[in-house]
Amino acid sequence: MSVPSNRNEPERLHPTVMAMVVARDFEDGFVVNLGVGLPLECANAMPPGREILLHSELGLLGFGPVIGDHTKADPYVTMVGNLPVEALPGMVFLSHDESFAMIRGKHLDVCVLGGLQVDVEGNLANTQFEGKPAGNLGGAPDLAYGAKQTVVMMHHTTTDGTPKVVTRCTLPLTAPRCVSRLVTDVGVFDIRGGQIILRECAPGWTPEQIQGITEARLVIPNDIREVRLM
Amino acid sequence: MTVHFGGFASPFNTPSYLVAAVARRGVKGLTAISTSMGRGVKHRDSQSPWLPPELRPQDFFDVALMAELGQLKKGITTFAVGARHDLIYPFEERLADGSVEVEVLGQGSLAERIRAARAGIAAFYTPVGPGTDVAKGKEVRDFDGIPHVLETALHADFALIRAWKADRYGNLIYRGPRTFNETMAGAARITIAEVDEVVPLGDLKPDQIHTAGVYVQRVVVRPSTPVSDWTTPL
Repeated sequence: MSVPSNRNEPERLHPTVMAMVVARDFEDGFVVNLGVGLPLECANAMPPGREILLHSELGLLGFGPVIGDHTKADPYVTMVGNLPVEALPGMVFLSHDESFAMIRGKHLDVCVLGGLQVDVEGNLANTQFEGKPAGNLGGAPDLAYGAKQTVVMMHHTTTDGTPKVVTRCTLPLTAPRCVSRLVTDVGVFDIRGGQIILRECAPGWTPEQIQGITEARLVIPNDIREVRLM
Repeated sequence: MTVHFGGFASPFNTPSYLVAAVARRGVKGLTAISTSMGRGVKHRDSQSPWLPPELRPQDFFDVALMAELGQLKKGITTFAVGARHDLIYPFEERLADGSVEVEVLGQGSLAERIRAARAGIAAFYTPVGPGTDVAKGKEVRDFDGIPHVLETALHADFALIRAWKADRYGNLIYRGPRTFNETMAGAARITIAEVDEVVPLGDLKPDQIHTAGVYVQRVVVRPSTPVSDWTTPL
């Protein structure tokens, strides 16, 4: 799943580390939805000592980490991606329409979505691969609209090195102007006012190196730091 | 004919035996409404990769079986194709050869359109969709300065759903997340529930019941021993 590194570039962040970077900002009491793909890694990266309710589209609220040991899993309790998860006290089952009433009605604090392209306006394309006859919208359009914050967690480039952080999305949009925070395998970015602002660089990466694999022009402030895990 | 297919892409919430029955029946020209157009028998084991092979249900049939057998005219769905370039499921093959149509929309709008059908609402405005392909050809109207798209109710002739227990009134309880099963109950002329067990009237307590029997016209009990061949009648 991880992108093969260019000979000359520093090591990219492992998905487990990216998940910790995303999850560090989940506050006590937050309701959080994790999209399929990379964002699911966050289910096992919850910051200790905080009560965070995880929501999953199929009608699940308040579940725990993904269960690795199948003998302890209840196959009826799965999140999106059909992965078995731990049942926590206070967990709730819902129907699909109720689950999305919760999303659309703005009762979720954060959603973390995967991305194929993100642009300077915060537009998100994550549903249709080039060459496929149709797309997979899933719950992303509702999540991107309804969650108070939309975070995208993705590899910074495609496996063949094509930039995914772009001036303008060329793939069909999942939702317009929704992404405010971007975490990739090379850094952390804020998106606001038509600008993508580099906040944190992965260890070993310089802002210039990150700009070099980014199509969009990045805003590079003076107070850039190294990626933090906590 | 239009059919709601319940569940959410898991062997544990899909009405597999009802799917198999539609396959045996051979009815063609179906419009299938389903959150995913499925994987089909060939890719069945990829659905629960975390389960050891001996525990993966072999009596798992999803709407892709209808695509494989050429029974579909159209799919209304949120997941139309495989999530990777190298994953091509039966419905995508039919899309590529032009024998089926597809309407793709977000899951929240799909769920609410189905709920609206059950609730007798003709249409509703949702803020999800404007600015994307989903809104093309649909009315868009501002409420409080936010564009909303008009989505219409999705009725079906049949709703095929999966539940855990039923009584003879058709009252249902579900096990685990209730997915599209609860959403689709009552959104069709005839709702058929596939259940593990029918219990005596009164065993399901009023404050436990998720779906009132008024939404359910028929109940079918799953076999106690799994039947892995869809061509075998129960």
